[in-house]
This record gives sequence, structure tokens and C-alpha cells, in this order.
Amino acid sequence: MPSEIIVVSGLPRSGTSLMMQMLDRGGVPVVTDVIREADVDNPRGYYEFERVKKIKDDAAWIPEARGKAVKMVSQLLYDLPSSENYLVIFMERDLDEVLLSQEKMLERLNRSSAPRDQIKPAFVRHLNQLRVWLAAQRHIALLDVRYNDLVAHPEQQAARVSAFLGGRADVQAMAAAVDPALYRNRKPSGEQSV
Amino acid sequence: MVKVKIEPGLYDRARRAAAAAGYSSLDEFIADCIEKGIQRQKIEEQEGPVSDQLRGLGYIE
Repeated sequence: MPSEIIVVSGLPRSGTSLMMQMLDRGGVPVVTDVIREADVDNPRGYYEFERVKKIKDDAAWIPEARGKAVKMVSQLLYDLPSSENYLVIFMERDLDEVLLSQEKMLERLNRSSAPRDQIKPAFVRHLNQLRVWLAAQRHIALLDVRYNDLVAHPEQQAARVSAFLGGRADVQAMAAAVDPALYRNRKPSGEQSV
Repeated sequence: MVKVKIEPGLYDRARRAAAAAGYSSLDEFIADCIEKGIQRQKIEEQEGPVSDQLRGLGYIE
């Protein structure tokens, strides 16, 4: 069994659950506890593992994730123990679409969202700093996958992911998991964003 | 290299934690913990709004 831990990461609402679903369909074992159930925001499930959120204080589960895929929000990547090797699939999506989707989710949860003009630069800074840090980590290999490319060209992107994982995932099965109907929070056409 | 003193009880707990997490040595584990602590402090100082948003969405605690 491969010893690397596959980490699917990115900002919330950037397509991390979709990538986990693709890996699952493609035959890659996934680490999930199904505590957070599917809902209107993620109709096919979140593919989360609750202990990931506590990784700052408890990383004892990490060795058991070797050869498997686990989902982890971008900010928690800093807490990955350097005693392991990781293949990080980082989902990228237009930041305005990410924030729009987050705002809708927060509204459904009856929680407040920071004003867009404040939170957007904070996320840009977060991503820039994370990129610098990731580039310096010898125990982390990185593959960026753009959400829009994934929806537009599922087979092409699935092939990239499978190659990154050493060919261990079924490309056709992964591509079949992509449903363009679930690409809902689009920014108006013609609008540009960082 | 410099030496740092810690209580024997903490040393034993750290040794067990390092072994459970798969570190090759206690030194490696402690160095990683210190790096993470510094990084966490930096994140908390600089990424307050991001942390609040991620917490609200249920992705961190």
C-alpha cells in the first residue's frame, strides 16, 4: 500500500467534497466518519472526518490514513505532522464564487458572514501565505485543480489527478462523479475576479 | 544545538505521543511541535477573520 497520505484541501466551497467523491468512486480509500450528513449545500455528502478539526491537539489518527484520502480545509494544512509524506490535491475556484457560496451556507446556518470587502482580502492573504509555506515543505507534494476545469473537462482533470497519485485511481469512474448541475453559485458571466 | 529542560512527566508523555504519531525520534517530534506552535500563533495573529469564517462554516473548531 502506498505510504503517502492524500489530502484534499482548499477553501470551503471550492470543490473539495466533489474531489473526495471522485477519489472514492475511483477506488481510492477515503477517511470519513459521515457525522456531517449531506444537505442542501452538499447534496452528495461532505466526506469529512471530525478528528481532522482537532489535528492541532490530536494527530494520532494520521498514520492510519496512509494510502487513503482525507479532506482538510486549507488553514489546517499547517498542522500536518512532518513525520509523514503527503500528496495534497488543492482545489482552486474563483474567490467570488467561493465567498458567494459560503455566504449562502452561513445564512442557512443562521450564522453571520463577514462583509465581502473585508473577508476577500483576508482570504487572498491567507492563500498567498499558504502558497509560500507549501512551497517550502519537503514532505508535501502539491497538485492544483481548478474547479471550473473539473466541471468543464472531468476526464482530463481526473487523468491529471490519477497520474499525480501514481495511477492508482480509475479515471473514468472519477470523471463520472462530476455533475455539472451541482455547479450552482456562479458569478455573473463576464465578471472578472482574483 | 541547545538544550531545553522539561519535567520528566511531560517527557514521558511526549515520548509516547511521538511514537504514536510515527515520528522517528523525540527530538523530531518536539521540533515539529515548536514549529507548529509558532505557525499557529502567527496564523491566529494574522488570520482572525479567516478563522472566524471557517469556524462559522464548521470547518475548524
